[in-house]
Amino acid sequence: MSDPLQTLAEIFIFPGFLFLVAFALFMAFLDRKIAARMQQRIGPPLFQPLADVVKMLGKEVIDPDGADIRLYDIIPLIAFAAVMTAFLYIPVTGYSPFAFTGDLVVVLYLLAIPAPSLFLLGWLSRNIFSTVGGIRAITQLFIYEVPFFLALLSPAIMAGSWSISAIVSWQQQNLWFIFFQPIGFIVALVGLQAKLERAPFDIPEAETEIIAGPWTELTGRRLALMNLTFSIALVAGSALIAALFLGGPVLPWTLAPAWLNPVAGMGLFLAKTLAVLMLLSSIRVATGRIRIDQLTDIGWKYIAGAAVVQVGIVLVINWLWVVP
Amino acid sequence: MPDVVIPIGPHHPALKEPVNFRIIADGEKIVRLELNLSYNHRGIEKAAEQRNFTRVLPLLERVCGICSHSHATAFAKGVEEIMGLEIPPRARYIRTIIAELERMHSHLLWLGVAAHEIGFDTLFMWVWRDREAVMDTLEEMSGNRVHYNMNEIGGVRCDLTPGQIEAALSRLPPLEERIKKYLDMVSSHETLLIRFRGVGRMTREEALQYGAVGPTARASGVDYDARRDDPYLVYGEIPWNVVTDTSGDVYGRTRVRIGELWESSQIVRYCLEHLPEGPIRADAPKNAPKGEILSRYEAPRGELVHFIRTNGTDKAERLDIRTPTLANWTSVAKCLVGHSIADIPVIVAAIDPCLSCTSRMVVVNKERGSGAAAAPCGCIVRQRPAARDRRET
Amino acid sequence: MTGAVTPEMVVEQMKQFGTAARVRNDRFSMQIAPDRLHDAVRTAQALLRFDRLLTISTADTGENFELLYHLIGPHRIILSLSLLLPRGQPSIPTISDLLPPAAIYERQIHDLFGIRFDGHPGLSRLMLNEDWPENEYPLRKDWKPDPGRFYGGIKEGGS
Repeated sequence: MSDPLQTLAEIFIFPGFLFLVAFALFMAFLDRKIAARMQQRIGPPLFQPLADVVKMLGKEVIDPDGADIRLYDIIPLIAFAAVMTAFLYIPVTGYSPFAFTGDLVVVLYLLAIPAPSLFLLGWLSRNIFSTVGGIRAITQLFIYEVPFFLALLSPAIMAGSWSISAIVSWQQQNLWFIFFQPIGFIVALVGLQAKLERAPFDIPEAETEIIAGPWTELTGRRLALMNLTFSIALVAGSALIAALFLGGPVLPWTLAPAWLNPVAGMGLFLAKTLAVLMLLSSIRVATGRIRIDQLTDIGWKYIAGAAVVQVGIVLVINWLWVVP
Repeated sequence: MPDVVIPIGPHHPALKEPVNFRIIADGEKIVRLELNLSYNHRGIEKAAEQRNFTRVLPLLERVCGICSHSHATAFAKGVEEIMGLEIPPRARYIRTIIAELERMHSHLLWLGVAAHEIGFDTLFMWVWRDREAVMDTLEEMSGNRVHYNMNEIGGVRCDLTPGQIEAALSRLPPLEERIKKYLDMVSSHETLLIRFRGVGRMTREEALQYGAVGPTARASGVDYDARRDDPYLVYGEIPWNVVTDTSGDVYGRTRVRIGELWESSQIVRYCLEHLPEGPIRADAPKNAPKGEILSRYEAPRGELVHFIRTNGTDKAERLDIRTPTLANWTSVAKCLVGHSIADIPVIVAAIDPCLSCTSRMVVVNKERGSGAAAAPCGCIVRQRPAARDRRET
Repeated sequence: MTGAVTPEMVVEQMKQFGTAARVRNDRFSMQIAPDRLHDAVRTAQALLRFDRLLTISTADTGENFELLYHLIGPHRIILSLSLLLPRGQPSIPTISDLLPPAAIYERQIHDLFGIRFDGHPGLSRLMLNEDWPENEYPLRKDWKPDPGRFYGGIKEGGS
């Protein structure tokens, strides 16, 4: 029903792929700069992540002996496509142009694809380090994915809708969900850190133990794509948490000139996503890596427990509100 | 998963120097370990037999980059004892200052590396920044950040000016504050604690049985320290303490090393403040009388033993070096069994391995004229003939 | 052994193997016969609390190989047991069953000198690269590197 040219522009330029890649590179730069400053270093210049991607695209691609090369080429592409598509449903300047009921579930599903793709890459590499890393990636996936989903579904239950944009508009009329569900916010942050495989959860890529885990045999354009995938997943995940818990890119009132609304929305989007990024970077800088068996311990005892408690609280609140 | 063989090394991000061990693992649990240390072998013991005492000292410094002063001092004091030579007090104090500064920089390096092994890069960056203060002091005093070349048979090569002493003393207080902070941090930071506590545990009996030395043994309560048991330089005259711990795991070793950092900074401060006046060198005879000696020295990694035998000429007839890391490898092999793969870098790093010390040999290439010696950490360095001849007096 | 171990006791207990000469205020040195090494170490360990092996030093004296075992205990006295092995037949039983650290020192000595330790759990290469030719023992006095021979590792000028 809307102009097909406008839809294409929205998918590919703004708030779609071009904007997404540029913002992902900017967030990667900020992440590294914040971490460097906390470590009393100087850190990279602004265009460093872009330079890294361009450099890696031009490097020689080495195929491991006996690996299935077609799959090896396709899997990074699939992961990349998945996280890019996930971002389309996340509101950037107001409501997402592609919103529909159930898009929260679709986004969660698409964001869950990078981890099994790492596992497949590790398996296909025919290299002991990659195999061990891939197995760790899948084990980690089982541990954090359930609490992460539960924590992100709690706002949906309270708002009564499976659409991200509807949840954002619920927060516009009431309060941000972080005030109603602080436990859920923390669990979501922890789950996102584990999904993105950043410290303390960078177990699959433990540099000092298994070289680089499933990333060991990735070279050239495959490595560039997977790196970019994880940078984009960082953006998509942070934006998702900002939308579900911090109110998203909408003001509680509309502004007078109509064009000011999307601008304000953009500003809010930047501010909130970057706030979530600051939290994630601080966690990364302040901790070391834990072992996979310790993660299993902590994950099932505390993180999953907290998520279940949170969902329980939300269900009780909902019942109390609806009944009287 | 059936038994798999995971090769660690010779190229591996967890290792700072090449070593090869093959881990046979069942899933994530380690079953067995096979060791191969040949990568930094450079033939220094054989080369030492062909050089006179003046030329041997620089060669011995290059056994290792981080414990260079240890090897040179152990040899120098052994030869001086065979000759019956008494070196002036100022020289002894200066040697002690450099020795303790070396211990500090080695332990700071270790702390950063241990943090890096568990993925805690922040502590790594902070500690290595503080290490720069120690390196600056060493560079001012001796001209080099490593391989200080301060020793000569009979004393030290160069003196400390009052300016250098003041600069060194001014760098100590901020460093001491940071050391206290690191001790606090190690005792309370969650990730450090869960990765270090209970890992690589060795009881006192096991430490004695497997022949562990240095901080590795002292963390298990074995109270051996060559500086106290066999006093050399000024350790018998100044107040200092031996640091031990009872936990026996990697956490205990961390605490012992940070404790030793503190003690070393106190020793350096005392020596700088009480530096006696006088000459820095005694005249040494060219030849050493016939004799043999077992020279023991407490290097940062543990007890270093030089067995020197002389035969009346100006060369050592036999120099046999037992490095602390070689003594500690057996304990690593035994500690690793039963732990998971993720603990390998932690346990290996906990003995502070110095592979250059452990395997120190090379084949001299006759065609090129000069010997190609592998310097510590595996990089190839050419010995310039001019440098060799300059040492001849 | 209860009570403190004094230097006199060391001389007394080890008399059956040889005379212990005091070469330094804390170090004794004695010459023993190679076939009595195992008993000597066992006696020292059991009766005199020499529970640590400092190191095993070696020297090539021309016609013999000399091995020195340096033992130490909590009493801080060092006992150096020295023995001579004939050059043609350098072999001696291992003491790694009494003192486990000896295993790695014996492995190193075997690699560099060619002395055989009977009963050792695994005398594989430790210090020299795995393709070092057999029967070349670099630390012997009569060994010189032969420019024409290839000692393993990487060939000059690329592989």
